[in-house]
Amino acid sequence: MLNWGNFVSQLFNGLVSGALLALISAGLTIVYGTLGVLNLAHGALFMLGGYAGFVAYQATGSFVVAVVVGALFVGLVGVVLERLIVRFFYARPEEDQILVTFGVGIVIVELVRYGFGSLSQSVQAPVLVSPIVNLGFAIYPEYRLLAFAIVAVALAILYFVLYRTRLGMVVRAGIEDSQMVDMLGINVQRIFMLVFGIGAMAAGFAGIINAPIISVTPNVGDDILIECFVVVVIGGVGSFPGAIVGGIIAGEIMSLTSMFNPQLSQVMLFAAMTLVLVTRPQGLFGTR
Amino acid sequence: MTAPPRRRFRYLAELVLALVLVVAPFTLPYIGGNSDTLSRILIWGLFGLGFDLIFGFTGLLSFGQAAFYGSGGFISSYLLVSHTIPNVFLALLIGLVGAALIGLVVGMLALRRSGIYFAMITVAFGEMFFFLENSALYPWTGGENGLPNVPKPRITLPGFDFSFSDPWAMYGLLAVLFFVGYVIARRIVASPFGHVLTAIRDNPTRAQAVGHRIQRYKLSVFVIAAAYAGLAGGLEGTLQSYMSPEAFTFETSGQLVMQTVIGGAGTLLGPLVGGALWLYLRNELQSALSLGAAWKLVLGVVFVILIMFLRRGIVGGIADLWHMVRPRREDIAPPMLSEAEEEVAATPHRPPPNSERIAIETRGLGKRYGGIVANEDVTFVVHEGEIRGLIGPNGAGKSTFFKMLTGEVRPSSGEIFLFGQDVTKLDVTAVCQLGVAKSYQINQLFPKLTVRRNLMISALSRARGDFRLDLFRHVDSMDELNADIDETLRLLNLTGRADVPVSALAYGEKRRLEIGLALGTDPKILLLDEPLAGMSPQERADTVKLLKQLAIGRTLVVVEHDMDALFDMADRVTVLAQGRILAEGTPAEVQGSAAVQDAYLGGVHT
Amino acid sequence: MSKSLDLGGAVSRRAVLIGMAGAAGAMALPEIAFAADYPPLGTFPAGQAGDSVFVGIDVPLTGTYAAAGADEQKGIELAIEHLNSGDDLIKAISPKTTKGVLGKTVTSSAADEAAKADIAVQNATKFVQDNKASLLIGSVSSGTAVALNHFAQDQKVIYLPGISGSNDTTGKDCTRYSFRSCFYAYSTSAALAPVLIDKLGKTRKAAYLTPDYTYGHTVYDSMTKFTEAGGWTTVTNQLFPLGATDYSAYALNIANSGADTLVVIGFGNDAVNSIKQAKQFGLLDKMTLVVPYMSPYLVQQVGQDLMAGVYAGLDFYWDIGDKFPLAKQFVDKFEAKYGAKPEWGAHAGYLQIALWADAVETAGTFYPPEVIKAYESGKKYADSTVGPISWRAADHQLIRPVIVVQGKKTADMKGKDDFYSVVEVVPGDGIMQDPKAFGCMLGEAT
Repeated sequence: MLNWGNFVSQLFNGLVSGALLALISAGLTIVYGTLGVLNLAHGALFMLGGYAGFVAYQATGSFVVAVVVGALFVGLVGVVLERLIVRFFYARPEEDQILVTFGVGIVIVELVRYGFGSLSQSVQAPVLVSPIVNLGFAIYPEYRLLAFAIVAVALAILYFVLYRTRLGMVVRAGIEDSQMVDMLGINVQRIFMLVFGIGAMAAGFAGIINAPIISVTPNVGDDILIECFVVVVIGGVGSFPGAIVGGIIAGEIMSLTSMFNPQLSQVMLFAAMTLVLVTRPQGLFGTR
Repeated sequence: MTAPPRRRFRYLAELVLALVLVVAPFTLPYIGGNSDTLSRILIWGLFGLGFDLIFGFTGLLSFGQAAFYGSGGFISSYLLVSHTIPNVFLALLIGLVGAALIGLVVGMLALRRSGIYFAMITVAFGEMFFFLENSALYPWTGGENGLPNVPKPRITLPGFDFSFSDPWAMYGLLAVLFFVGYVIARRIVASPFGHVLTAIRDNPTRAQAVGHRIQRYKLSVFVIAAAYAGLAGGLEGTLQSYMSPEAFTFETSGQLVMQTVIGGAGTLLGPLVGGALWLYLRNELQSALSLGAAWKLVLGVVFVILIMFLRRGIVGGIADLWHMVRPRREDIAPPMLSEAEEEVAATPHRPPPNSERIAIETRGLGKRYGGIVANEDVTFVVHEGEIRGLIGPNGAGKSTFFKMLTGEVRPSSGEIFLFGQDVTKLDVTAVCQLGVAKSYQINQLFPKLTVRRNLMISALSRARGDFRLDLFRHVDSMDELNADIDETLRLLNLTGRADVPVSALAYGEKRRLEIGLALGTDPKILLLDEPLAGMSPQERADTVKLLKQLAIGRTLVVVEHDMDALFDMADRVTVLAQGRILAEGTPAEVQGSAAVQDAYLGGVHT
Repeated sequence: MSKSLDLGGAVSRRAVLIGMAGAAGAMALPEIAFAADYPPLGTFPAGQAGDSVFVGIDVPLTGTYAAAGADEQKGIELAIEHLNSGDDLIKAISPKTTKGVLGKTVTSSAADEAAKADIAVQNATKFVQDNKASLLIGSVSSGTAVALNHFAQDQKVIYLPGISGSNDTTGKDCTRYSFRSCFYAYSTSAALAPVLIDKLGKTRKAAYLTPDYTYGHTVYDSMTKFTEAGGWTTVTNQLFPLGATDYSAYALNIANSGADTLVVIGFGNDAVNSIKQAKQFGLLDKMTLVVPYMSPYLVQQVGQDLMAGVYAGLDFYWDIGDKFPLAKQFVDKFEAKYGAKPEWGAHAGYLQIALWADAVETAGTFYPPEVIKAYESGKKYADSTVGPISWRAADHQLIRPVIVVQGKKTADMKGKDDFYSVVEVVPGDGIMQDPKAFGCMLGEAT
């Protein structure tokens, strides 16, 4: 017994929640693609964005300020992390990079717990017209539509930066061959710092955009990180379009499965990943 | 100098471990340990033995070991709690086998990718098992309530009945199991199989190129690690009389990784030491320092600092200190053999090439990368025993051509025959096993291994084929193999440097070892990609002499930019330009060819 | 607190060594002559050999239930402080108490179990082995409570769950050594359903948002049983994985189900997220919200405006002081010490300690089978912080009231903590299942 109205709304919902996943995954994938570092602190940075936004929101009462401050703060944290820790790991094995970012993630989560306690914090969603909108096929929260639009714009900006600017050209060249970029005499150190900052900022930005939807707790990034892995594996590591398509696929899978058997929505996600691995191990958009 | 270095205290580690395991219960309780903590440390240590085999020795970072730990634990616990199997030991064994089988399936999928991809996939699989445990498998696993009332092991024989209900008895059992697990892991590490694992960790591409079917090695060690994990999981269930669903969580995998790194990966005992430190600190930070929830913050900081500054963990750090106090033999500057001494051996008597039998033949070979043509219509014949030179300007397609010959690159068109056998569709491992080896333009060595170990990796592929599960054979007992390695060392003039790690070699020595790795597989066809690159004039002369000697009984194809050296040794020379054969003939003919001079020599040599 | 722990630890470590040497340990110690009547069992008599007895507090301080765990710890520690000082409040529940328990000072230490059963067991083992704990207490999830139930039975040390809502805790996973004081899935459903049917009518269509694990399933089963018996229909049950953050898909399914009542079963952050997102999808504007088993700090995290009108079951609520003077005393003393109102987990911890003290004082010994006998005597406590209560011997569940509350509108709040109006305090006698209904087999005391 398929309810078509519900099907359409779930299809739409999958797109919206998938877009958020795509944005978080894009940050992860850009950093990996350029620096070759899989940042396991990415989930913690997502969480940190929520808290930074929360503090800014408490201080100013403005959601826009919260978004800007939250994203910038996490971007800055990313830059500091890169200078203090991550840059010493470029020459070390991948495993060490994974491990140190894993450790950094734990430290960030526990620091936030130390400072804010374990209770969840709330950020009020801004309302433009009315909190709930009737789309015809579904009644939908206005903020989720707004978030979808913001995320779409953010992804477009990221795309523009990556594909239409000199920085992006260098970053993408770095994905292909970092030695070549080195030879071109470009200050790779600074580029790496910037890229890590941008990746962190994407996570932080997603964190504060997500804050009005879910409650912000120190552990909120843990599960998101794992979902990002699935997205990136499906889309292809280091591929920007892969992150977007993978995110939307993941969102649709979870949304549509919930109609038939909500119990299986997570398991189906991993099943999809397995399917991709068997048929196209490099991911849908992966080359290597 | 020819005997392999046998260690004076071969069983020292086992001895020390046994001593520590016996003494621990009598000493550690004074500093805050108890039977439960010690038992748990042993379980983490056992879990870590398997993990160290895949991570420390094979270089595969799995973040999903919880899947096997939980599977083994729940399989054995379910069998016991449901009274399907009354015997705890049998249930543990079934749990171990079950975890290994699950490891086989997960490994076949996850090992399709390596590096970071592999790490992420294992995380995802671990999570999938967690969700399955909690929902779909709820009737068997008890969901988030887990399985209570797991019985303690019991040995019942006629006239003998002993239950491990006393916590120290349980510790004793775990100590014995850990010790056995350690001995097995150490045998694996010392076996030819274990040596190939370290080669895969150091340089998977080269391990493959010298003829090892690395995918099967990886899968085997993945399954072994899953078996260790499964046993450890089952033991946790019986130790605490309760199988916890947390066994399946990401934290379990993460804690294992952190403990292993803190203790020292690639040491086997690292996970045990890391586990001890972790559990001890967690208890003490909470109770003695009253840190409350901040204990995890402190441990996280400790972890980051350890990774940053103590790269080989605690056990690795202790080993380094030990070697600072008592220098390794290989660290003492070895006496270098003078060139003159070596010269006596090197008087090549090379029979003329056997022009009857064809060693290499390619027909219309081509390779395209997208729109770019690397090679086109290369038809090429080399006879047995010949030394063939291959020259051409940069970008002429020499390297791609070599890669097609070795199976590293699949041709877009055409066919390749080696000794009349069609090898067009074979991969690099299979081609190597047929007797083809290549030395690379840029060194492709196993950097963390010693010179001898490097050569052993090659020699093992010849002695054992592309895969063998000889887990309990000791490499030191393979006398013929070790004699061959000594011979190769002598040929390469590296005998005095045999026990030096590659990272400590001079450039020229590395180049010789690079040739040695190819030579170690005892190939019938030896492909050499710029063997003289970067060498001093003296080294060049020596290497040319070496190559001439190697050509006895072999077929050589040499790519080289040093024309004088090449023309000196080659029987015939083939010239590639823009991916095609431009000319072919004796060195004199090629030097005299106007076309070659126009296209190539003229441009370079004037 | 940590100083006394260190002393206790040193003593017990010596005892461990004596035991290891096979010298029949604590029996040889001179000052425990009174114990000669009973054989050693669990941590008895070694744990009571000195001037103090140790209580091991096993609560989550990190992870998703950390806040509730910290609150519970405060309640337990307040009770221990009251025991040692012979406070009136403790004496009201445990009349024989003078100072401490049987004249011994109570010490304690808390360990973080991170809402993980295996770590809970690990901590408990340490408490038993190193500290010779006379009592283990604490839980915020049924997973850890069930694990510790069995651990307690195995080790012969009494364990008291703090927060545990699953029917199984005093059902199929009950043990002789464990006693649960708080309300649970069945009792809250039995208490809530008649109120709901009375207030909302008999023709309601309910949608459920249920976490996919044992606690969620038992609450769902109990709620549907009672509401369907009263005429309600169940239109959908959305099972979500533990710890889910995005509930949009479930919310849409519920929006399209035609329900007029939304029952949220999730606990902790699951409840916070599901209610917030139900609001975002407009569900709360169309449906009446019901939270059968309300987790501590829910309203503080969700916000009062979302909780206005909600019907919920609670174990304890600070504003029942007009009905029960002892409750007022407890709330005042808690607030004086910690500067905030107690949540119900803190109360559960406090009450458990007070009832334990009474059982031990009644038994006159720490010998666990005697203490258990005192628990099982069926003594009626005519007055407590939640009115009349008594232990049920057959499954070790406290017969106690469930407090049914309704969320206030923000405008009606008289203070920042004035979240609910108490609809009814449903007495415990009528809301209990048959003690064997969930398969409880207590096991042996020795």
